[in-house]
Amino acid sequence: MLTVLIAMFALALVAPVLFSRLGRSAFFVLAAAPAAAFVWLLVELPGVLAADQAAPNGAPGAPPSLVIPWIPSLQLELAFRLDALAAVLCILILGVGALVLFYCARYFKNDDPDVGAFGAQLLAFAAAMFGLVLADDLILMFIFWELTTILSYLLIGYSRHRLSARRSALQALIITTFGGLAMLVGLVMLGQEAGTYRLSEILADADALAARGTLVDVAIALVLVGAVTKSALVPFHFWLPAAMAAPTPVSAYLHAAAMVKAGVFLVARFAPGFSETAFWHPVIFVLGMATMLLGGWRALRQFDLKLVLAYGTVSQLGFLTMVVGLGGRDGAVAGLGLLLAHGFFKATLFLVVGIIDHQAGTRDLRVLSGVGATSPVLFAVALVAAGSMGGVPPLLGFVAKESVFEAFAHRAEDGAAGTLLLGGIVVGSVLTFAYSARFVWGAFALKHGGPRTAFPRVRTSFLLAPAVLAVASVVFGVWPGPLDALVQPYAALFASDDAAPHLALWHGFGLPLLLSGVTLAAGGALYLLRRPFEQFQERLPSMREAEVVYRSVIGVLDDVAVWITGRTQRGSLAFYLFVILATAVVTPLTALIIFDAPLPTSFRIAQSPAQVVVVGAIIVGIIAALRSNKRFMAVLMVGITGYGMAAVFALHGAPDLALTQMLVETIVLVAFVLALRSLPARLWNRAESRHRLLRAVLGIAFGGIMAVIAMSAMASRNAAPISLAYPQMAYDDGGGANAVNVLLVDIRAWDTFGEITVLALAATGIASLIFIRGRSDHRRRADGVEDGSVDRGQELLDARGRSGAALALAARFADVPRDPWLVAGRTLAPERRSIVFEVVTRLIFHTMIVLSIYLLVAGHNLPGGGFAGGLTAGIALAIRYLAGGRFELAEASPVSAGALLGAGLAIVSLTAAAPLLLGGAVLESYILEFWLPVFGDVKFVTSTIFDIGVYIIVVGLVLDVLRSLGSEIDERSEADDPVEEDAGADALVPPATEGVRP
Amino acid sequence: MIAADLAPLAVVLPFLGAAVTFLLIRHSRAQRAVSITTLSVTLLIEVVMLLAAPAAGTHAVKLGGWEPPFGIVLVVDQFSALMLVVSSAVSLSVLIYAAGQGMADGDEDGPVSIFHPTYLILVAGVSNAFLTGDLFNLYVGFEILLTASYVLMTLGGTAPRIRAGVTYVVVSVVSSMLFLIAIAMIYGATGTVNMADLAVKLEDVDPATQMVLHLMLLVAFGIKAAVFPLSFWLPDSYPTAPAPVTAVFAGLLTKVGVYAMVRVETLLFPGDRINSLLMVVALLTMVVGILGALAQSEIKRLLSFTLVSHIGYMVFGLAISTRIGLGAAVYYVAHHITVQTSLFLVTGLIERRGGTANMDRLGGLARLSPLLGVLFFLPAMNLAGIPPFSGFLGKLGLIQAGVDLGTPLAYLLVAGGVATSLLTLLVMARVWNRAFWRSPADADDPDPILLASKADGTSIGTSRHVTGEDTGKFAGKDPVTLLPRTMTGPTIGLVVLGLALTVLAGPLFALSDDAAQEMLDRTPYIEAVLGPGADR
Repeated sequence: MLTVLIAMFALALVAPVLFSRLGRSAFFVLAAAPAAAFVWLLVELPGVLAADQAAPNGAPGAPPSLVIPWIPSLQLELAFRLDALAAVLCILILGVGALVLFYCARYFKNDDPDVGAFGAQLLAFAAAMFGLVLADDLILMFIFWELTTILSYLLIGYSRHRLSARRSALQALIITTFGGLAMLVGLVMLGQEAGTYRLSEILADADALAARGTLVDVAIALVLVGAVTKSALVPFHFWLPAAMAAPTPVSAYLHAAAMVKAGVFLVARFAPGFSETAFWHPVIFVLGMATMLLGGWRALRQFDLKLVLAYGTVSQLGFLTMVVGLGGRDGAVAGLGLLLAHGFFKATLFLVVGIIDHQAGTRDLRVLSGVGATSPVLFAVALVAAGSMGGVPPLLGFVAKESVFEAFAHRAEDGAAGTLLLGGIVVGSVLTFAYSARFVWGAFALKHGGPRTAFPRVRTSFLLAPAVLAVASVVFGVWPGPLDALVQPYAALFASDDAAPHLALWHGFGLPLLLSGVTLAAGGALYLLRRPFEQFQERLPSMREAEVVYRSVIGVLDDVAVWITGRTQRGSLAFYLFVILATAVVTPLTALIIFDAPLPTSFRIAQSPAQVVVVGAIIVGIIAALRSNKRFMAVLMVGITGYGMAAVFALHGAPDLALTQMLVETIVLVAFVLALRSLPARLWNRAESRHRLLRAVLGIAFGGIMAVIAMSAMASRNAAPISLAYPQMAYDDGGGANAVNVLLVDIRAWDTFGEITVLALAATGIASLIFIRGRSDHRRRADGVEDGSVDRGQELLDARGRSGAALALAARFADVPRDPWLVAGRTLAPERRSIVFEVVTRLIFHTMIVLSIYLLVAGHNLPGGGFAGGLTAGIALAIRYLAGGRFELAEASPVSAGALLGAGLAIVSLTAAAPLLLGGAVLESYILEFWLPVFGDVKFVTSTIFDIGVYIIVVGLVLDVLRSLGSEIDERSEADDPVEEDAGADALVPPATEGVRP
Repeated sequence: MIAADLAPLAVVLPFLGAAVTFLLIRHSRAQRAVSITTLSVTLLIEVVMLLAAPAAGTHAVKLGGWEPPFGIVLVVDQFSALMLVVSSAVSLSVLIYAAGQGMADGDEDGPVSIFHPTYLILVAGVSNAFLTGDLFNLYVGFEILLTASYVLMTLGGTAPRIRAGVTYVVVSVVSSMLFLIAIAMIYGATGTVNMADLAVKLEDVDPATQMVLHLMLLVAFGIKAAVFPLSFWLPDSYPTAPAPVTAVFAGLLTKVGVYAMVRVETLLFPGDRINSLLMVVALLTMVVGILGALAQSEIKRLLSFTLVSHIGYMVFGLAISTRIGLGAAVYYVAHHITVQTSLFLVTGLIERRGGTANMDRLGGLARLSPLLGVLFFLPAMNLAGIPPFSGFLGKLGLIQAGVDLGTPLAYLLVAGGVATSLLTLLVMARVWNRAFWRSPADADDPDPILLASKADGTSIGTSRHVTGEDTGKFAGKDPVTLLPRTMTGPTIGLVVLGLALTVLAGPLFALSDDAAQEMLDRTPYIEAVLGPGADR
């Protein structure tokens, strides 16, 4: 079983290769696969039919089965079982599949595009259908079910350049998937309720399950939704006629013989056992009957032969669903008989239409004329098939319809509903006969007034497939014995005392025969009266098409989507932030109120008056920052809050934090000031006042609620914090008296590791925004730079104006011929230099560097550490840059920023990983004690190496920021005026015309 | 020493690689070699850890040898090991793709020079977030990956990227701030940040305070994971970045948020107190997200909406929070990382081949490049939950969990999940209909590349001379390879990985299920960190 399935899929996978080698003849190779499978089926068939259909898998006398575990967690198994019902479907799937593929070899031309993919999809479809009917696991069945849907989508869309093909493909996909998903939910409900997903076990246990009530009823109803959509019943019928945009072989196979039968198959699968659940018969009968009548009615109005057949198929599917869903042995026999009959005759007719279309170039029955006379064999084939469809004896269609009439005649004895059903079926059959006749007339008759359609001779190989199917309709009509044997084992699954009826050509005299006669007579009359009937149809007000409903549903959906998306995706950062902060306020607030969180019973406003002063300053800073309408002022005010925080830390007795915070605040301020030079001084217009109020409320609410939560959280503390243990641990195990530093470089060094990487990245990120075309990491030495050439301003200013005079004055004082204080101070334009600043810089630079190294080394025991040290060195560099310009900065830093960042990161990473080689833990530190000349006994903790890495990265960060926000922007603004040197590079940064000059 | 002891290397190695690539900043070829090697080795180590994980159980690595709860621990359990492997495999593929793109375009110098270190640091941050057993270190992990993402998002510094970058950076900083505040509050209430220690101590905290802290963490992570209504920022920021960057963001970053939510729900605040809330959130995330996708015509933007929408499925599983539900969510995370990333990579290829990612202007791609068609179709159907792909299997698990729970809200969630699946299919099929099926001439304003290539009928892997008037984008860089093997190769690899999730679904689902059980039990985690008997 599995071999056959896999072989078919595998051949489908390599099909495109075959087509590129063999052209359209590759279809013959593909056809061989289902043909071989068909032979395999025939070999298996006697055993399958002889088996006890209800026996559990593996029991003696059970049908062949195969179970391979796949996903035990989901109870999903690759379970297959070839029982009688599956075998009946397999005959259609494999037999018709082989013939259709064979037919394709003549239908397509060698130069048709995408034939390879088409062939692959068609064969894969056959395999998927095969898997679908064999699956003995609910979910596995669904998997194949959806595969057929997807393949049908691809096959319908074969003529992809046509809008109608694409649209119909999508429509069919969405409709059938909609049903499929409903079915999936139903199947899961059923499986979870039954405790197993094995189809055979569920069916064996069906009576108990069906008695459980609503849940199972709903589950089965959902499963039926799947069947209804797949088999194109009302109100989902419209996708099927639209799907006729597919190439005709696809229509013959998917939309007549195989895929649309999947729904009928599903009904047949669940009918033994679940046909008595609450929603079963209402759904089956109401929708089935409506579909049968609507399809027949519509078929009589079509002028495209393919659409006549399509609506005919819709009608027949409704019919089939009713019969198969009837429940009971008579329904089972009649249903499967009809299923086979329909598969044979409808596939034949579609293939015939394909030939007509291929030869004549049209399918319009108003245009076609005289084809019957030109191509008598084709005519004969079509006549047989249409006769079978119309229920003409002695063809298979007649045999099947007889048993249907018999089964429903039986029901009619039970009451009015049954009689109504029988009546409906007769009316449907009358319509069927009428459109069958109309089809034959339309395709083959010689029409008055029109020319004979040119019709080249049909090659025998082209005609072979429909001919074989037509022969089957005749043979099994006259000799229904084999088919009867095929369907009887399935019928035996229904619990019933009555013996199952048999498929037979002659049922004896009785109501069924009478009804058949009525059908033929009335159908014939309707055909003869087709003109008046067409006029009658046209005069009726046209019903609202279900397709229009579908379109408008999708349209409404699109409108809703646009509306909702428009409401939520405003593209406004302020709106997004508002929503986020509002959520952050509302959710904890709700919890606080609903659950009544504890609050401290008493609390102090402040521990010391100094705190009040500092916090007051912070608040003033915040308000000033908000009110300020100049960027620089706002940044400065934000800086105040930062320094305020440093003060708070200091007041709490945390010198390390205070020191670091001060340094960070300073360096950030420098960076801000440098960056602000290239932005307009004024802030943008503020939001309108309504929004401002709302934002103010939200901001205050956020702050307030956080304060309340903080109090509440502290009030519910019930354990001593782990931090109490840190000082002792730091001293004993970390070898340092400064707990904060040991925490940073040892106990929680992993955090520091991550955070300094963030620093390195931040530097890179800033640089990448400025150096759009890539980092140029080589330093520019001051050697070749002309004196006083950097940042000259006097050309720009009115020399006689006040500022001009001031500049001239400044230049006179600053015009020192050599540079006694700074290396590259001479490169600055004279009016930009400040001797005092240069002198001070010269005096403090080295001191600060020494201080920074001291902070680094002493950090383990005293306030300081690599971070603070690095920042100090960074500030020293910043001062050099501010005093001496960009060449001074380059001279001051012997190594490029990128190299510093890389080296620091490398040191840190290696320090982290090295202990692994020594058999220790990552980041483990070791205390080394040794004697050095001069220093004496030295206690060295290896975590200091880590701290050195931190130091280097921080220096690299500051350098990179100065280089990009400082030097590079300087250079740009100089390049902008007076000469435009490099226009392309400045797309991002607007010319710096104002702002603060360092 | 067992395999799990190598866990820190998942972070240290990429960091080291970043250091080396920093030093090699002017040698892009060497950078490429270093970063690809680094990630390959990392992936190898993680695979070893994953294979060993079921047998080894939950294992804690004490960094620096410091005992928890004082030092920081990394915790390797089946969930984190799985996430590491999937995320590294995906990021390696994207890295090769990006390197291939750089090579194909002859971008030997340029902003790409900082791409490699930044990318490696991003990967390290993601791995750190998956591994850490310390709430504050989780914050650090987030900072690492976020900072890296800020840099990557604004790569090249074009105006749209800066604009999108501002949205992204500000929202991310706000979410980090909320997370940090939440950590502070939690420390205030318990005096610890070690997650296992918290798991024990939080139980004794006043229930109301617990609830407040719980919600604060969820809001913070909800922004990162992009759940409704905290998700609006995402579609406005992701799509503007370069294709490989968007791909890796879409695959990994939101999932880190989801991962954190899972840990919060299972380890820190177990129980079903807020499950109903989560269910509502999941439902809205799914439905509103997919409706957003329905309204798009730009494929990258559309995919950003499906990304948001499908986060809802993971929250779905988390909200059900039974073994099967959580297991399905775990599996779904692995699935979604792979598939969403593949789709973005393919969109990058579409952009190259068709000149645009706007479906109004695309057409006929299936015929122009059948390979591209297959590469799009498979993950698209996978995302839409078409069986037998992994997206379907994950959803199947979720539906089973929802049906098992059986409450009206659970059924509503099942219905919403199924509807989202259908709409995803509709969205994907529309892309297929328009960009791949219709002929290029039918497009509203077909891109010149599309029409030009129709004429000379190029196929995969061929170079084509692009002239100046052809398009500005590739002008002056001819000949440009439209679909270089170095870019299709990793995409194929990722699509195949997505298919492998189906083939290996048996063991993977077993793993996810076990992972879910471990998390629901909590004891293995707590005892691995704090020692036997710590979980009272």
